[in-house]
Amino acid sequence: MSVQQISVFLESQPGHLRRVLDAFEDAHVSVRGYSASDTGDYGIVRFIVDDPARALEVLGSMGAAATATDVLCLRLDDTPGELARVMGIMADCDINVTYSYSLISTYIALSVKDLTRAEELLAGEPVELIGQDDLARPLASAEGR
Amino acid sequence: MIRVADMTVKGAALAAAAAGDFSDLPIHNPAVECASRERIRAIQLEKLIAQVEWTYARVPWYRARMDELGVSPADIKTLDDVRKLPFTDKSVLRDTFPYGLFAVPLDEVVELHASSGTTGKPIVVGYNRADMDMWADCIMRLVQMAGVVPGDRAQMAFGYGMFTGGFGLHYGLQKLGCMMIPAGSGNTERHIAMIEDYGTTVLIATPSYALHMCEVGERLGFDWESSSLRVGLFGGEPCPPGLKAEIESRMHIVCTDNYGLTEVMGPGVSGECLAARDMQHIAEDHFLWEVVDPETGEPVPDGEMGELVLTPLGKQAIPVLRYRTHDLTRVVCEPCACGRTTARMQKVRARCDDMLIIRGTNVFPSQVEDVLSGIQGVTPHYRIVVDNEGGLDRMVVHVELKPEAFSDSFEDMERLRRAIEEKLKGVLLVGVRVKLVEPGGIERTTGKAKHVEDLRR
Repeated sequence: MSVQQISVFLESQPGHLRRVLDAFEDAHVSVRGYSASDTGDYGIVRFIVDDPARALEVLGSMGAAATATDVLCLRLDDTPGELARVMGIMADCDINVTYSYSLISTYIALSVKDLTRAEELLAGEPVELIGQDDLARPLASAEGR
Repeated sequence: MIRVADMTVKGAALAAAAAGDFSDLPIHNPAVECASRERIRAIQLEKLIAQVEWTYARVPWYRARMDELGVSPADIKTLDDVRKLPFTDKSVLRDTFPYGLFAVPLDEVVELHASSGTTGKPIVVGYNRADMDMWADCIMRLVQMAGVVPGDRAQMAFGYGMFTGGFGLHYGLQKLGCMMIPAGSGNTERHIAMIEDYGTTVLIATPSYALHMCEVGERLGFDWESSSLRVGLFGGEPCPPGLKAEIESRMHIVCTDNYGLTEVMGPGVSGECLAARDMQHIAEDHFLWEVVDPETGEPVPDGEMGELVLTPLGKQAIPVLRYRTHDLTRVVCEPCACGRTTARMQKVRARCDDMLIIRGTNVFPSQVEDVLSGIQGVTPHYRIVVDNEGGLDRMVVHVELKPEAFSDSFEDMERLRRAIEEKLKGVLLVGVRVKLVEPGGIERTTGKAKHVEDLRR
């Protein structure tokens, strides 16, 4: 189980991220999490959204450089030590997390080189993997409490 | 036998050129364009003698300069004698602004144009009826080199205004018998709608604007392949071969570019035929050309690179002599596979005054263009910014990423960026920094693209 992440190439300039977010809003694409990192000149902004296909379509029509990649998505309990516990499991499974960021509430997205292998390894571990459908649902019910 | 009708089939001109068969492509004035070299030189000499007499008798500035040099119209007996005449630089047109070089009364002048002001202050030029006819003749030659025929529908994407490109092409195409669609510059989506609505067959644009139009059309889902558009006539800025090839394949049209400058007339000095795509045929009966060493003003050996110097022949309202174009080219006189015998100049890719000196090394923007057109993953649009903060010259090349070249990895992006830096360094012999910008991040212009920003103090 994994989710699709939408990455966009953006120059580090005021207003460039806003242009993308305005377009998402117009197309009713809901951002459930994001991370923005840069090299000084340009950056890659990564989004987890409820409807990745529509997000890509919106970006394509803007002429933006964008691409979709699969990442793991885990739900964490909001308790002290939970992030350390989950990352400990990743380490024990010998999965290298290339980058990671948190989404709404206590969800985190993790990029790994071999997604399938990571999914297999994590299947037997005490972590809760999240799928695309879970992200489309309202926050409260997705959390199930 | 010219079967011009065949050329109106989309792709026919390119197919004929690929097959090396130019028999169906129209030649406007074979009596001149296909004349022997001796005949061409005889026409030039006769017109040069008349031109010098005309100029000496009517323009005080030239009379004073020629008297100073001790040369009179009677001294012009051979084409080589042109070297006895003074050069004309752009500054002369500026200093005599607005009417100081005019050789006819102003009530004979039917049109004014001004330079687009890429460098320095504007200059103004005038044309009488005879000049307008000469200009149209030049345009009719070059558009037919691309397979344009009477009845074509030609849509203008240059600005009209004072710029010579708009009206220059307009009059020539109209005189040939084309239906002019004077759309003017800007509003790309409207241009595309007009191509569809009016069945446009010929587009006149800068190459960078044509590419922009192509991209916008593709985004809108416009099908260039099945569109009526057949020919692109480019001007206003140099067109790198890679850019032209890309536009031809994406818009499914044949494109040629032409050369000219306001100071000697406007577009129409020379034009590209489909046989030798890097060369342009000079309208030699209308322009006497020389290629000189830009430093010394002395002629370079036949066929070698130098600065192009032009003397319009038969131009009446402003008869400039030996105009220093500052454009670097070389000229060859061998007959062309297209059937023409007129001399051909290599496309101007650099101007003496375009040259940047970066930490003591000469750099031409055209070199950057050449490198970029050979790299997958980036568009041909670019911008060079030079500064010397910290004392040392620093050159940054802004390069536009193509959407399909993007991956979710900084590693990949940096690899691409560094590869471009390496390639540029190999060609320019000076270190540059490459800055990747978003698709569409480099401003598209309908006039001359401004590629260089020099912030050095």
